[in-house]
Amino acid sequence: MRLLQVNLRSLLLYSLILLIISIPVSFLSVRAILSEEIDESLSLQADQFTHHIQQFEYLDDLETDLGVIDQLSYNVHIKPGAEGPAAREYSTVSFYDSLEGETRPFRQLHTIITVKGKRYDLKVRTSLVDSQDLALAIGSVQVIVSILLTAGLLLINRRLAKRIWKPFYNTLERLRAFELDKSETIPLVESDIFEFNDLNKALSHLTEKSRMVYLNQKEFIENASHELQTPIAIFQSKLDALMQSPNLTQTEAETLMELEATAQRMSRLNKNLLLLSKIDNEQFLEKEPIELAALVQHQVNIQKPVAALHDIGIRTALEPLPLQANKTLLEVLITNLLNNAIRYSAEKEDIVITIHERTFSVSNKGKLLAIDFEKMKERFRKESTHPNSTGLGLAIVKKICDSCGYKMSYNFSNATHTFSIQF
Amino acid sequence: MKILIIEDEKQLAKSIVTALRTEGYVCEAAYTAAEANEKIPMFDYDCILLDINLPDDNGLAILETIKSLNKTDGVIIITARNSVEDKVKGLNLGADDYLAKPFFMPELIARVSAVIRRKRFDGSNKIVFQEITIDLFGKSVTVNGQELDLTRMEYGLLVFLTANKNRVVSKNAIAEHLSGDNAELLDKFDFIYSHMKNLKRKLTDAGSEDYIKTVYGLGYKFSA
Repeated sequence: MRLLQVNLRSLLLYSLILLIISIPVSFLSVRAILSEEIDESLSLQADQFTHHIQQFEYLDDLETDLGVIDQLSYNVHIKPGAEGPAAREYSTVSFYDSLEGETRPFRQLHTIITVKGKRYDLKVRTSLVDSQDLALAIGSVQVIVSILLTAGLLLINRRLAKRIWKPFYNTLERLRAFELDKSETIPLVESDIFEFNDLNKALSHLTEKSRMVYLNQKEFIENASHELQTPIAIFQSKLDALMQSPNLTQTEAETLMELEATAQRMSRLNKNLLLLSKIDNEQFLEKEPIELAALVQHQVNIQKPVAALHDIGIRTALEPLPLQANKTLLEVLITNLLNNAIRYSAEKEDIVITIHERTFSVSNKGKLLAIDFEKMKERFRKESTHPNSTGLGLAIVKKICDSCGYKMSYNFSNATHTFSIQF
Repeated sequence: MKILIIEDEKQLAKSIVTALRTEGYVCEAAYTAAEANEKIPMFDYDCILLDINLPDDNGLAILETIKSLNKTDGVIIITARNSVEDKVKGLNLGADDYLAKPFFMPELIARVSAVIRRKRFDGSNKIVFQEITIDLFGKSVTVNGQELDLTRMEYGLLVFLTANKNRVVSKNAIAEHLSGDNAELLDKFDFIYSHMKNLKRKLTDAGSEDYIKTVYGLGYKFSA
């Protein structure tokens, strides 16, 4: 969930709950207040009526007069009798309203009054229609105001949050695009919010530091490899000098050979590491027009005698593919894939090399490998324990593909390993 | 034939001097650029081995000096920094060859002999060893005037061995020389063995003496 949504969601939820509660509460409370008012006014009316009736001495025939009042008055009904309640009793009742011509709700006060020693049953009523309309009107206003308030709050919050968090998202985007081996430092935008400025500063510092460490490390690998070349050269030259001595025993000769092979292996490792860091440092930028098929054929011709030693044949189906590329890198790429194929090919099987639809593929028969493709491409990963294998071959191929924008893929089916490079 | 070795690593310089002396070259060593700059104007060398990374100066400056003196000395650049730019720069400045450290001594000797031959023999460039004659221009080999039919590998092998005559050349060095950067081979010794066997057979079939001696466990020695 996005930050803005979390914020908005909580606000929205709160507003909604408030709204849902406030509508009935406000409606009910307005109605309650009104109904209390009405009851009070009814009570007042009844008091006044009773007071007047008891004051009017000139009424000769009380019974008749009261009957007339009962008939004429819209909201006062009085009848002789004593069945009614002693205390004042309020109720809401529906009556046919002869004025409006429909049944309407009324509030009614029901009580017993005594006039001149005689008990009368008194009902005072008032229409509830007006009060209901009022309650409805007040309620609607309340609802509209609440809705407007909520909507406004949400809208403002949304816009404000968007503006406030903008620098944050900018920074995030820049961080996402940051690549340690490629990018320069991250350009961070000044914001007028302290926290974001602090964040940006911390991030700048972090990325800058990581980059420095990375560059140092890269430089270190390169320097270390360079510095190792001379001692290996001395080592090798001394071995050569030892070989010239005339009376070597067989064991001594074998040891010398092993030492020389080891020196060679060190030197090869070193050269491969250097190659990797050179590709990293983009020291192979010069491009020239190259016919890939010709280049592949050339490499195949060089490797054929080697493969032939193991009864491995090399079959080719090469479509012409003119490329604009760095020749050194392409040669390394082809050689490494070919070397790999020969190394891992089953004996007496053919290696198949094709160029088809801008894709260069090398296939060899062999058993399923214990490691998967992703691991295969890592440095110093190897299946073979052969001393001539440095474990850097595929790592170099991958690095070349990455730096030149080629696509490398691997497929294993029918006991055949296929490495493909799509140009 | 006189060779100047400009190399600040004394141990390496000494080994190179010793190895080249067995091939009959007269060698001098300079351990600093200052020493080298003293020697170069005073003597004529057939070949100068030049390390680019010297403590007191860049080797390429020495190369410029050599060329500015109109010297015809052959120059082979030796460097631990195997960078394309250095190579291109060196060759553009007039170096004859370029060798990256570490290298096999037989490889260095073969390069030296190739540079010297190129400098000294214009027109007909031939190596003659007893009854064997190698024509480096025509890339052909004759024994007692009879031309041999050699493969590219066998021819390269023979030239390499003749440059290193009287020295034991290890199988590792031969494999690296023949396959260059592709030396990451399996069973490279089988590979050499088959080529060597064929070469020896072709030479002796043509009536040459067997000059290629197997040094057990190590490699081969070409000697009369």
